[in-house]
Amino acid sequence: MNFVQNFPFFSIILAMFSGIVSSVLDGRKARNLSLAMIAVTTALSAGTLLFCLGSGESYTFMMGHFPAPWGNEIRAGILEGVTAIFFGIIMFLAVLGGLDHTAEDVEEKKLNLFYIMIDLMLSSLLALVYTNDLFTAYVFVEINTIAGCGLIMIRQKGRSMSAAIRYMIMSQLGSGLFLIGLSILYDVTGHLLMSPARESVELLVAAGSYRIPMLVIMAVIGVGLAIKSGLYPFHYWIPDTYGYATPTASAVLSGLVSKGYIFLLIKIFYRVLGYDNLVSSQMVNVLYVFGITGMVMGSIHAIHETDTRRMTAYSSVAQIGYIYMGMGLGTSYGMVAAVFHIFTHSATKALLFISAVGLYEVSGDKKDYISLRGAGYRNPLAGIGFTVGALSMVGFPMLSGFISKLLFATSALESPHKMLPTIIVLAVSTTLNAVYFLRLVITLYSRRRPEDAPIPETRARSSWQLRLAILCFIGVNLVLGLASQPIVQAIRDGLAMFG
Amino acid sequence: MEGNMILLLPLVLPILAGVVVLAGKVFRENRKYLTGLSVAVLVLELVLTFQALVSGGSLTMIRLTDQLTLELHIDQVSRLFAALTAAVWLLVGIYSVSYMSHEEEEHRFFGYYLIVAGVLMGLNFSANLITLYVFYELMTLTSLPLVLHERSREAVRAGLKYLFYSVAGAFLALFGIFFLAGVSENLTFTAGGVLSDSALAGKEGLLLTSAFCMIVGFGTKAGMFPLHGWLPTAHPVAPASASAVLSGLITKAGVLAIIRVVYYVIGPDRLRGTWMQNVWILLTLLTVFMGSMLAYKEPVMKKRLAYSTVSQVSYVLFGLSLLNPTAFAGALSHVVFHSVIKHALFLTAGAIIVTTGWTRVEQMRGLGQVMPKTLACYTVAALALVGIPPLSGFVSKWYLASGALSSGTGVWAWVGPAVLLVSALLTAGYLLPLTIQGFFPGHDFKGEEIEKRGLKGKEPSWWMLAPIGVLAAAALLLGCFPGSLISMLQSIAASVL
Repeated sequence: MNFVQNFPFFSIILAMFSGIVSSVLDGRKARNLSLAMIAVTTALSAGTLLFCLGSGESYTFMMGHFPAPWGNEIRAGILEGVTAIFFGIIMFLAVLGGLDHTAEDVEEKKLNLFYIMIDLMLSSLLALVYTNDLFTAYVFVEINTIAGCGLIMIRQKGRSMSAAIRYMIMSQLGSGLFLIGLSILYDVTGHLLMSPARESVELLVAAGSYRIPMLVIMAVIGVGLAIKSGLYPFHYWIPDTYGYATPTASAVLSGLVSKGYIFLLIKIFYRVLGYDNLVSSQMVNVLYVFGITGMVMGSIHAIHETDTRRMTAYSSVAQIGYIYMGMGLGTSYGMVAAVFHIFTHSATKALLFISAVGLYEVSGDKKDYISLRGAGYRNPLAGIGFTVGALSMVGFPMLSGFISKLLFATSALESPHKMLPTIIVLAVSTTLNAVYFLRLVITLYSRRRPEDAPIPETRARSSWQLRLAILCFIGVNLVLGLASQPIVQAIRDGLAMFG
Repeated sequence: MEGNMILLLPLVLPILAGVVVLAGKVFRENRKYLTGLSVAVLVLELVLTFQALVSGGSLTMIRLTDQLTLELHIDQVSRLFAALTAAVWLLVGIYSVSYMSHEEEEHRFFGYYLIVAGVLMGLNFSANLITLYVFYELMTLTSLPLVLHERSREAVRAGLKYLFYSVAGAFLALFGIFFLAGVSENLTFTAGGVLSDSALAGKEGLLLTSAFCMIVGFGTKAGMFPLHGWLPTAHPVAPASASAVLSGLITKAGVLAIIRVVYYVIGPDRLRGTWMQNVWILLTLLTVFMGSMLAYKEPVMKKRLAYSTVSQVSYVLFGLSLLNPTAFAGALSHVVFHSVIKHALFLTAGAIIVTTGWTRVEQMRGLGQVMPKTLACYTVAALALVGIPPLSGFVSKWYLASGALSSGTGVWAWVGPAVLLVSALLTAGYLLPLTIQGFFPGHDFKGEEIEKRGLKGKEPSWWMLAPIGVLAAAALLLGCFPGSLISMLQSIAASVL
């Protein structure tokens, strides 16, 4: 076995141990450790990806010495590698960008706890990406939930407590459903490792036995993870959670956590349940309908919001809808588009949350439209960052959102029955996105009126970390928009390896 | 990046200069540097554009995906639009040097004014539909600050309206692009169309639908009914020089996009005689008539001119919708003539506002005593737009009407020319009262206000008067000597039809 093949395991363990070590460090050291750890795990993921690209195939990594069908496995392929690198980059930039706000929002004595949560969050995300074992997946789903709750709750202000409780309840509902699904699956197949479970599922489907339990498994796992990723109509926890957490937490929760669950769901679709079975059982159509409803309803909610943070959160509901719509198209093109949109949305939403912070800083920490009037002049870089993010969400060419829309639309053309609704909803949703995002952008660049309340004295300029993070996020967006071809190709190859 | 790099210069130079103007503090504080740099860049832009047009060729900028590339090229249509853009942009730039001294935050105006010039050049040089779409969206965004310039509540509302109509229109068009990308090898502009018959089999209905979506979508910028509502709101709130280019050139970007889609991607033969063509003709004629009527009833001069743009740009679209070589040549010549004339008219409106503060036409009685030279130029341009021979509007309308009569489109062949005639009468009705009331205010007119404010003989400065004069002269000369232009347009028409 090549030494590089250990990297996925190393990165998960490294992230967990950093969390454990941080519990005895003070906040500052915990923060530095966390940043260093994220950088190292990202490098390890890059190593894994290079190895997989070199060998041209995926590999499974046995934990301990119990061969399949027992034991515990990790699997790494191109798609896992790309996703892990991407998650690492977004995580790093989100932590970096929110650095000084985290220090302000969190009590000094509890600062190391915040970074423990970040460490655990990354380790669970990596585990969800790499795992080849359903029960490991479940364990890390729970770790992820707890870490997420901690990230929301630690800013003990405003509605963050009730938001955390709401998040907890909804998430537990989701994990509960997921666990029920796993139990039934274990019951009918006798396996928890993905590859043997897949073989049993194929046999069962071919024999035509256990048809109803199989349907229940698909439905329960699908809905469970859909609740956790905030698909409409299971989105009630989203606006409060993203709206009242500290900026890093908002960016991480909206950009990464929901995406980790979606990635797991895609993996289960391909590696356990079999995507063709899902298509033939009509499950994908259910996801599709939820997806396109979410695309429209999320945007409509966003239009009604005057609090820009909550508006951005509702926009996430719409964007998650895009991803499920792509998964629900029932074609491999649709899936490629959905995975690409995972990346697009992570990069863009994190950019929006982080650059919005720069705008709130110069508007007396108020988040409504009126206070933000003219903020684009008071903090030019944050204004540019927010504008780029908003344009990307609207689907402006040369930014990542455009490539997503292009992929969605061309994949819709491949599935004749869903073509028209997809195109129409894409059009409606784009226009609605434009309504609320561009309205805000114009507000940022319009003149303050005499009747507007004066801006309280705030900091002179954003910290260099925030500015660096905004620049890097803009860069990530441009890379996704201009050099999408290799990434799309990697997604395609990676999905082929799943099959 | 491979190909003729000279094509990149007319894009990059004004955009860079615009960014420098927006960012540099010295330009905010010192007006001389600002206007000096802007005019110098615009002169250089004219030179570079002509150099690029002469050298020709193509340039691949970047590959978005295997199928989609950003690519520039020069063909006859890009020559026409690019030469027009560069020349008119310089004239309006010179005008702005004097005009904008009455406005605040000039550096922002000049910055975006330069950037839009570069973006428009990119649009004119686009070699395929994706490139065109990219620059089209960029144009919407970069021209938005021109509409928003005053930053008053009204301007912001108009800007939002402009934006939403444009985004909605662009997405309608994007749907068509997605469809066309599926049924062609690549979307490179080729005279006569690039679609492959085998991929299209069984999708004819969808082709017509997406063609219709694209025409309505790109027609938004050209002010075509039903998505014309933004134009009369957005154009008048901008400073006069911005209204002029918005009305005279940016509406033409919509026309250019439609020419590219219909004649260079889909191919006119696939559309001839279909429901799509009939609906398109109907929409353009409706717009022609409706725009003229609204202009006739509108008392505010800049709004009246904006409605006139709605009507006149649809003359061009009417010519395009007939899918007939004569009408096509007429349409393209009207692109040039309308652009020249509408700039002259809007610049006059700006000169009147700056000198007298009058915005409504009925206030302008006796204007001939204030600025006779300007009003004379206005009169020449107005007569040209009405279509009095030998002025330029006559030539284009002649080709449009004779193309319609020979187009074989059934009832439209004679309804079209009739609508054009009625609209020409209305054009006279809404443009000429200013001349008549201005030069011949009547016996009862005492001109107290003009006396009291000391306005008598107060022409605008030469910076403003000279561009208006040049444009009016062009409107006259292009009508007297249209030969070489028309023969160039006819060669384009022959290649696509």
